[in-house]
Formats: sequence, C-alpha cells, structure tokens
Amino acid sequence: MLGQYLPILALGVLAVLFAAVSFVASKLLAPRRPTSAKAAPYECGIVPTKEAPERFPVRFFLVAMIFIVFDIEIIFIYPWATIFEGLGLYGLVAMLIFAFAVFESFVYLVGNGALDWGPLKKQVPRTR
Amino acid sequence: MFFAQVAPDSIVTPDIAWTALVPHLVLAGGAILMLMVWSLAGRWLPRWLPSMVTAAVGLGAAIGSIHLWRRVTDADRGPFSAVADSVGIDGFSVFLTVVISLTVVFAALLADGYLRRERLDGPEYHVLLLLSAAGGVTMATANDLIVLFLGLEILSLAVYVLAGYHNRRAQSQEAAIKYFVLGAFSSAFLLYGIALTYGATGSTNLVDINAYLRSTVLVDDGLLLAGFALLLVGLGFKVSAVPFHTWTPDVYQGSPTPVVAFMASGVKAAGFAALLRVFVVTFGTYADDWKPILYALAVATLLVGAILAVVQNDVKRMLAYSSISHAGFMLIGVHAASADGTASVLYYLAVYSVLVIGSFAVVGVVSGTGDGATTVGDFAGLGARRPWLAFAFTVFLLAQAGVPLTTGFFAKFYAITAAVDGRSWALAIVAMLSAVIAAYLYLRIMIAMWLEGSDDDAPIRVPVGTVVVLGVAAAFTIGFGIFPEPIVDLARDATPALVNSP
Repeated sequence: MLGQYLPILALGVLAVLFAAVSFVASKLLAPRRPTSAKAAPYECGIVPTKEAPERFPVRFFLVAMIFIVFDIEIIFIYPWATIFEGLGLYGLVAMLIFAFAVFESFVYLVGNGALDWGPLKKQVPRTR
Repeated sequence: MFFAQVAPDSIVTPDIAWTALVPHLVLAGGAILMLMVWSLAGRWLPRWLPSMVTAAVGLGAAIGSIHLWRRVTDADRGPFSAVADSVGIDGFSVFLTVVISLTVVFAALLADGYLRRERLDGPEYHVLLLLSAAGGVTMATANDLIVLFLGLEILSLAVYVLAGYHNRRAQSQEAAIKYFVLGAFSSAFLLYGIALTYGATGSTNLVDINAYLRSTVLVDDGLLLAGFALLLVGLGFKVSAVPFHTWTPDVYQGSPTPVVAFMASGVKAAGFAALLRVFVVTFGTYADDWKPILYALAVATLLVGAILAVVQNDVKRMLAYSSISHAGFMLIGVHAASADGTASVLYYLAVYSVLVIGSFAVVGVVSGTGDGATTVGDFAGLGARRPWLAFAFTVFLLAQAGVPLTTGFFAKFYAITAAVDGRSWALAIVAMLSAVIAAYLYLRIMIAMWLEGSDDDAPIRVPVGTVVVLGVAAAFTIGFGIFPEPIVDLARDATPALVNSP
C-alpha cells in the first residue's frame, strides 16, 4: 500500500543528499579571498559609502491606501457592470450608496494631506 | 454581446423597508457625513463639536427606534422582517438597539474632555464609535447568520482601531494588537461555526434553521453540535466568557478609558444579543445539548471573574475582571433559555451599561493626563479631594456589588430568579458566592477613596461632558433602583421573535 510512495521518498532522499553534497563541496573546494565589496549585503554595484538605516518619510503608505480605496470600488463595480441591466434601478442606487461610502475615505485621505507631496512643504496637521 | 446574453433579463431584487432600518441608517450615515464634513472643513470647526454631533446622532438613532417599538409591541402588527429576511425587527432587537445607541451618546460625551486632555481630538474617534455602533445594531437585528457575522465584523474592526487610539501610549498599542489578533481568531471560529451549521441545516436564515430543526430529527447531529461549539467560542470571546476572557484585562487596561466604557457596554450588549438570538431563540429545540456547556461557562465566568478581580491592584483591571463576573450573571440568564431568562439578560445589559460607563467615567478623570494613574493608590483620598466624584463612584460600585435600592440589585435578583425557576440551584448558589467575593473588591476601592488619606493634591479636572454622564448615570442607578418597574416592564415586553416575511 505504502510502496507506491517509494519514488517520492527516494526523490526526497536524493534532494537532501544533493543539497548536503553541494554545501560540503563548496566549503572544501572554493577559494576564500574576501574583500569589503564582496562582504557587502549585495555583492554587486557600487560599494556603499554611508550607513543605510536612516529616517525617511513613509508617505507611500498613503498612496497605497488610495490605491486600495479604488481597488475595492472597482472590484464591486466590475461585476455590477456585467449585469447592470438586470439589476436596474435597484442596482444603480445600491452602487451609488456604496461608491459614495468608499469615495468618502478618499476625501478623508486628501483632507489629511495624502496628496501634499514634496520635502519642502510642511506636513498638513491632522484636522481638528 | 457575450455578457449581455449571459445576464438574465431581470433579477428579483429585494424590497428595502427603509423605515425598519432607521437606526442603522442614522448611525452609519451620521458617521460618513461627519467624516466628510470634518475632512473638508475640519480646520474651521470648534473642537467640542464632534462629540456633540455624535451624541446627537446616537440620540437620533434611539429616537428613531421608537416608531419600531410601537410597531412591534402593537398586537395587530407585531414583529416583522425586512430586506429579504436578513433583518429581524422585534421587541428584543429594538430594545438592544436603543441600549447600544445610548451607550454611544455616553461614550461620545466622555470622549470630549478625555481626547482634548490627551491631545487626541479629532473626528476619527467619533466616526469609529458610530460605525462600531452601527455594526452592533446590525448584530442585534440580524435574522441571518451571515448578517450577524457582518455586524460583528463592522463592530469589531472599529473597536480594534479605537483600542489603539491613544497613539503615544504603548499599552494602548499593545491592547489593540492583542484584541485584533485574538478577535480575528475568534471571528474565524464563528465563521467556521456558521459554515458547519449551514452544512447541517441547509440555511443561514435563523427562521429557516429553527423550522428545519423543529421539523426534522437528525440521525447524526455531529455536524450541528460542532457548529454549536464553534459558534459558542466565537460569541463567548465577544462577551468575554471564561475561558475566552484572557484578552479582557489587558485590553481594558491599555485602551483609552472612554473606549473601554463603550467596550464593556455597547460591545457586550451586541455580543449577548447574538448569543441569545442564536442559541436561545434559534437553537431552542436543542437546548438540552448546549445547556450543559453554557452551565460550565457560566460557573467558570462567575468564579474566575470574581476571584481574579480581588487580587488586582489596578482599578481598570479590577473593573475588567468584574465585568467578566457580570457577564457570568448574564450567562445565567442565557442558560435559563426561558422568556424570564432573556428578560433578565436584557435588564442586566441595560442597567450594567449605565453602571460601567459611569465607573469608567470616574476612572478616566482620575487617571490624569497620560491615562496612566489607575492603581488603587491613585484613588486614595478621593473622597476628600473631590467628594462628588467619589460619591458617584461609590454609587456605581455599590450598584455593581448588588446593594438594594440600586439597579444592580434587581439585575442580580432577576438573573438568580431565572436560574432558580430553571431548577439550577447550584448555579444560583455559585452566582451568590461570586457576588459576595466581588463585593470585597468594590469595598477595597471605596475604602481607598473614603478612609485613606493622600498627599497628592494635584487638581482633578472634571470636564462638563463627564459631569453630565456621571449625573445621568447616578440618577438612573438610584432612581430606577428605587422604582425599577419601567425598565423591568420594557425588558419583559422586549420579547425575541423569529419571523420571515410571508
């Protein structure tokens, strides 16, 4: 009964063996001459001249939010559009209510300065 | 062309009975309009306006329920369902709609002073509060398991955000993430329970499920019972029944105090609404199967809540554990699975909401800027510093302990009566024991307030909104404690019903 799974087991053993042999062979055979450029996280391109961790404004999350707002709206509008005639006025009104409620979050985002870009501009304070 | 051919000529669309949805519409519409106005013109509006508008919207939703109450209590018309049988309007749901709407009014009034003190003011808190209440009302009026789940999610998602609303306080962030992770987990349980119940009965409509279970004898009811168990886990989490209570103390301690006031009143009311409607009303024919589980839950909730409350040193944690023990009393009413049991839960929810909002109103004022000073020691000497504040807190604590001449006494009395009528003597005795144990903790706070001195003479500012809340809550507690009939009659008239439109 279990015999039919033997090839899978064999493949698993082969995979483990191959990985182990590759690692051991690489350890034994490869020459080791490290330089600072090679030890960098990405072993290509220009050698970094300053530390990477520093503060930068995460304004992209607001753009992502705006994307999600319209994404959700489209997800619902698309199937509605395909049966628009069958749903008639009922569907239109329901869609308008939905679209208004979703669009409202876009208004909120813009009201809170999601589209005020540029490093020189003072960040718009939260509405009070 | 292809799509046009696939689409049927006409789809039967449900009638929307807008009049039946007035409370939902007022709450949700109020939230959206408010967000719009404050997004566009927020900078020119006064800072006290959001909480006033929210209180007005909550009051509007409560007033908008009056015509529904008249309709469902009228012998000729009675309960009805709306929107393709997904919303059931009966005395039960209208009663809880009013309770939830009024908790919004209180939570909004409390938030005004709090948010300005913590420099968190803005429309967001109030919008989330209104949306959460709209979810709670949806839950209370749900006539379908899917609508129930929708309501639960609308309610919960807003409250998760509210729990982390104090963005400069680490405990608040911790509370939010804890509540969110565990809450999402429990929602999954609930959804799985709904799926299994659907699999066993072939419907998510509560009326259809009930009719099916009445008319059919299931040879193998394993699927249905597994559904019961998972539904109970999901709902037990929301009402913080032991052993699903572990989030409660941490979340109550960390969250902004006005949010806690809403969590312990509005959210709990919605949770019990779902528990009663699903188990007592819909699965009533299977009461013999779920009653033993609920019995164990009630005993554990009563004892664990009371005993762990006594050993706390933080007043917010104490009140959190005491709210667990109060949930135990309400579970007794659910366990009774009778009309009196349901009425006792409704009465308990109405009066306990007022008590707990009043209590957290005092805590929110005493905790001071930063919302951190909530140990028992911080309440020492409050009687000398702010006698009226201490007096109001004493009223709420005595009522929570169940002292006669307060609403809390009748709440506990009716819960225990429901247990005795159901011949659950042991449960009644455990409830009384729990009340005695919990009394010690209320006494501890009172002793700290009145008998201990304090060298702390920093002024305690009590904002106007909080004064109003405290005054109304204390008057309610004493007034209806002496003359309990009006609320008791309302709770008795608020009978649940299962109806689909013909």
